[in-house]
Amino acid sequence: MPLSTPEFASADLAPAGSAHEPLSTRRSSFATTVSLPSGRAGLILTGLTLAVTILAPALATADPFALSGPPLVAPSLVHPMGTDALGRDLFSGVLYGARTSLFVASAVTMLTFICGAGIGLIAGYRGGVLDDLLMRVTEMFQVLPRFFLVIVAIALFGAGLDRIVLALGLTSWPVLARVVRAEVFSLRRIEFVRAAESSGASGVHVLWHELLPNVMPSVAVMLGLLFGQVLLVEASLGFLGLGDPNALSWGVLAGQAQGFLRVAWWLAFFPGLAITVAVLGSNLLADALAASLSGR
Amino acid sequence: MQLVPTVAGIVLVGFLLIHLAPGDPVLALAGEHGDAQYYSFMRQRFGLDEPLPQQLATYFRRVAVGDLGFSYVHGRATLQVIMERAPATLLLTGTALVFAVLFAIPLGILAARRPHGARDIGISALALGFYSAPIFWLGQLSILVIALHLGLLPVHGMTSPGSAAAGMSHVSDVMRHLALPALVLASHEITVLVRLTRSGLIDELTRDHIRTARAKGVRERLVMLHHALPRALLPVLTVVGNRAGHMLAGAAIVEIVFGWPGMGRLLLTSLQTRDAPILLGLFFVVSFTVILFNLVTDLLYAAIDPRVRFR
Amino acid sequence: MLRARRRRQIRYSLLVALVPFALACAPEGAKRGEQTLVAAIGGDPGHLNPAITTNGGVHTAAALLYNGLLTLDEDLQPLPELAERWEVEDGGARYRFHLRRDVRWHDGRPFTAADVKFTFDSLLLRFHARTRASLGPALTSVDAPDDSTIVFRFRQPYAPLLQQLDVVEAPILPRHVFAGSDPLRNPANTAPVGTGPFRFVSYRPDDEIRYAANLDYFQGAPQIQDLVLRVIPDPGMQVIALEAGEVDWLFAVPGPDRERLQGDPAVVLLQTTVNPGGSNCVTTLGFNLDRRWFRDVRVRRAIAHAVNRPQFLERVLFGEGRVATAPISSRIAFAHAGDLATPEFDTARASQLLESAGWRRIGNDVREARGVPGIENGTPFVVGFAALPSQAKFGDLLRAQLRDVGIDLRVHPLEPAVFAHTVFTARDFDTAIASYCNGTDPEIGVRRTLVSSSIAPVPFSNMAGYSNPIVDSLFDRAGAAIDLGDRRSLYREIQEIAVRDQPYVWLVETLATRAHTVRCSGFGTSAHFAATARCTRE
Repeated sequence: MPLSTPEFASADLAPAGSAHEPLSTRRSSFATTVSLPSGRAGLILTGLTLAVTILAPALATADPFALSGPPLVAPSLVHPMGTDALGRDLFSGVLYGARTSLFVASAVTMLTFICGAGIGLIAGYRGGVLDDLLMRVTEMFQVLPRFFLVIVAIALFGAGLDRIVLALGLTSWPVLARVVRAEVFSLRRIEFVRAAESSGASGVHVLWHELLPNVMPSVAVMLGLLFGQVLLVEASLGFLGLGDPNALSWGVLAGQAQGFLRVAWWLAFFPGLAITVAVLGSNLLADALAASLSGR
Repeated sequence: MQLVPTVAGIVLVGFLLIHLAPGDPVLALAGEHGDAQYYSFMRQRFGLDEPLPQQLATYFRRVAVGDLGFSYVHGRATLQVIMERAPATLLLTGTALVFAVLFAIPLGILAARRPHGARDIGISALALGFYSAPIFWLGQLSILVIALHLGLLPVHGMTSPGSAAAGMSHVSDVMRHLALPALVLASHEITVLVRLTRSGLIDELTRDHIRTARAKGVRERLVMLHHALPRALLPVLTVVGNRAGHMLAGAAIVEIVFGWPGMGRLLLTSLQTRDAPILLGLFFVVSFTVILFNLVTDLLYAAIDPRVRFR
Repeated sequence: MLRARRRRQIRYSLLVALVPFALACAPEGAKRGEQTLVAAIGGDPGHLNPAITTNGGVHTAAALLYNGLLTLDEDLQPLPELAERWEVEDGGARYRFHLRRDVRWHDGRPFTAADVKFTFDSLLLRFHARTRASLGPALTSVDAPDDSTIVFRFRQPYAPLLQQLDVVEAPILPRHVFAGSDPLRNPANTAPVGTGPFRFVSYRPDDEIRYAANLDYFQGAPQIQDLVLRVIPDPGMQVIALEAGEVDWLFAVPGPDRERLQGDPAVVLLQTTVNPGGSNCVTTLGFNLDRRWFRDVRVRRAIAHAVNRPQFLERVLFGEGRVATAPISSRIAFAHAGDLATPEFDTARASQLLESAGWRRIGNDVREARGVPGIENGTPFVVGFAALPSQAKFGDLLRAQLRDVGIDLRVHPLEPAVFAHTVFTARDFDTAIASYCNGTDPEIGVRRTLVSSSIAPVPFSNMAGYSNPIVDSLFDRAGAAIDLGDRRSLYREIQEIAVRDQPYVWLVETLATRAHTVRCSGFGTSAHFAATARCTRE
């Protein structure tokens, strides 16, 4: 009895399958992605998020930790997103908060890529007992409830960005590993891989130069979706008061808004909006990429 | 049975967490509020004075009989404290799932009728928007607009405070309180299910038996509902099973926003009191629920789709 | 055909969309009875045994069910409760209490002195952290010479006893329920049997605790027939529920909402200095004097000048309280020194002091050490700030204020157990904040913050680690003095030294605001707040 049916167990939003033609015919996938309306929208939103992250010091109207106005001021020209109970400028907080949130999401995505792609490539390429073993471990990790595990980890080890990144990164890879493995499995039988193998290339060479580039587009789709999910998890942790209070993030801002819902709607509204925009951007991009891969 | 290594793996993760955490493992098992007598009792119960491999064996035995530790804060066994809250969470999650299916399948059908039509794009965009929003934010906004601004629904809890209602009026009281949190919790699931229904239907509608049915002049509605939909819904079933973990995490957040007296509220208070046994217990209970859900959906899948048996 | 299909579609989707609203529009639940009082509490207590914990949530919920030997009035003076009178003997080293004979437990069994002895010996002195820490070392025995007499014997005269026998510090539990069991696991912890004005009915975790009037209550049955404590964690939601009339009583009103409630004719606000943790509390910033940073009094003084205390009152407490001007609360009028030279808010003076102490500001950023004894040159002035999560807001504001003088503060919110360990046991902190409840006498709440014998791994003791033999001896003299004028001048001397040495910055004196609907009235401020209340129909 399989624990879960792999092709649908992968990412909930990921495409059900993807084509396996060699690299050359896929070169244009980026161009195709951008040509789709969803791709353009995703690119704009993601670009906006990245621009805000990089330009935060230039765009911010105030030091996000300093008291720059009276407490609980509604959005105005001076404070475009209002101020919090201490009189800190929320607009600047949201700008600087982008840095922490995006840092966490990027770091988790990187870690997931290393673990997931690595395990998927090896399992798919080697096959046999090693594959069985790795897939069994993957299955185990896949049922771990990420959110609850991260909470237990933070409760036992204390709050901190490094712990959030580690806990999320070490539990997010199974889906990616399974997708990569499935792709490698089918690629192995294809002409150009066989050709490389028979010309005496080492296993590492084949993995790195032939297989990895060919699974990258699907990997990118998965990582795009994961990026958005991590932003959401980070926000939820901040909402629960588990974020790092010395590193403003969207989640921490959202958590601080609790208790002011009735008197200062802006404290809850703008950080949530920022999260939604950033997550929507990466979801749309991943979506469009997936669509262009499956040739739709 | 592939379940055994998975369950063992999860218990092992719990064991590792307890022992890797800074400080005495008894603190992770018994919380930080006890006195020396209580700690020595817990040390003995979980064999913490034994060598590590034996400790692991003792720990497995304890968990196997449902002993997830003892909460000093609550003065009761961890499992008991969690199970007191489970029905409320189950009610919320179950209702949300029903809402999700009720909304998602019609929307998926609408979208699949004319792929890439205006309606399809509209539905997909809306669904993705909801999926991208943090669930606590949707909760806060819905409290602000629907409950506070429009005054349509109660904002907090499972019943009206101090209500002496019984029987049917109690049921309707609970339903009024349930509607908003269940809808918010359903929002992410709706997205997933709409997309699956839509893509499943689009795939199905191009298949031979559908073409044959159409050629035979079967009406479009019948083709959709009787021929294409059942098969297109198979993957939906699996995904519902696979999303149990997501849903319970979402439920935890929604419960906190709406003051719903379930496991999510327990999660927050246990975080605030650093009640480690409860947090670990919640992790186990959720893990095992996810496994159970996977198992049930796999069995259902096998029962519905004969192809699975040939694997 | 097409139109028909579309109509069906619309009908179908409309139908589905209506489901939740159909659920929602079901008739509202039956209204509650006239003498039903609903009070909001912020969290689930977990259990209802007040003798084995100092958790404020447990005490709020359980106090209604139990009694102390005494109770305290609004000025915190002792009044009879289970004990109808008492004698202080042996120069204050022996207390004899005469118990009421007409008290019965909720299950009908009579209450006797054996219950009191059992509660102290087997519960309070083992499990109640404050009573165990304060009474435990001083007490030699608790005896019950007969069914209605209880005698406390101390090693030496012990003054504060009468302040420590109310239902919060020393609730009396039934021996026949707890004897011979593990008190931590007794089923009565979630189905308690008490003597109090209300008896327990039901407990739904994280939802509601229900009580009914104790018709045989020895001080007369309460008017309120049904009492419900409703768990509403979000303070803003509590206010919404009060305004909607769903809840009749709030133990606290969040600052931002208070102004609006003040103008609401349907709501009455009560201010009190009594908090679940004690009375007359002063929120205090403490320096860890073991840390090299804070050995130099100029640095401590500089921070005292850099702190804008009125801003704490305005933006953290929303005006609920007053600026602290002395180490002793202004509510202890005889001992409070109102005209001390406490450092005023003056960032220029703060910067000057920091410069002279060797903390140079190069550019506009964080200061660096240049010749500070024991600290390597170039070390930036970055210090930690430990706080309970509920007080982390003080840290956010303090961080903003100290940035102006070039100090970088890192806020570390720590859960209660971790906070107690980090600050008082491990002493692993730079600065920390605590609410020191002064009580009615400096001996209760101020002495512990300043005498060297109180530098101990005990929660809320001498946080700074301040040790000054002169202050120690002044406290000894003040504690033993009988004449109020003598005590006043001794405490004044102590306060002058404390302000000069500045081991702490006394920030604000806090108040709590309770609120109730006009439908109900007659509330008390004690733990039995609802025993004297009554309600009318709206």
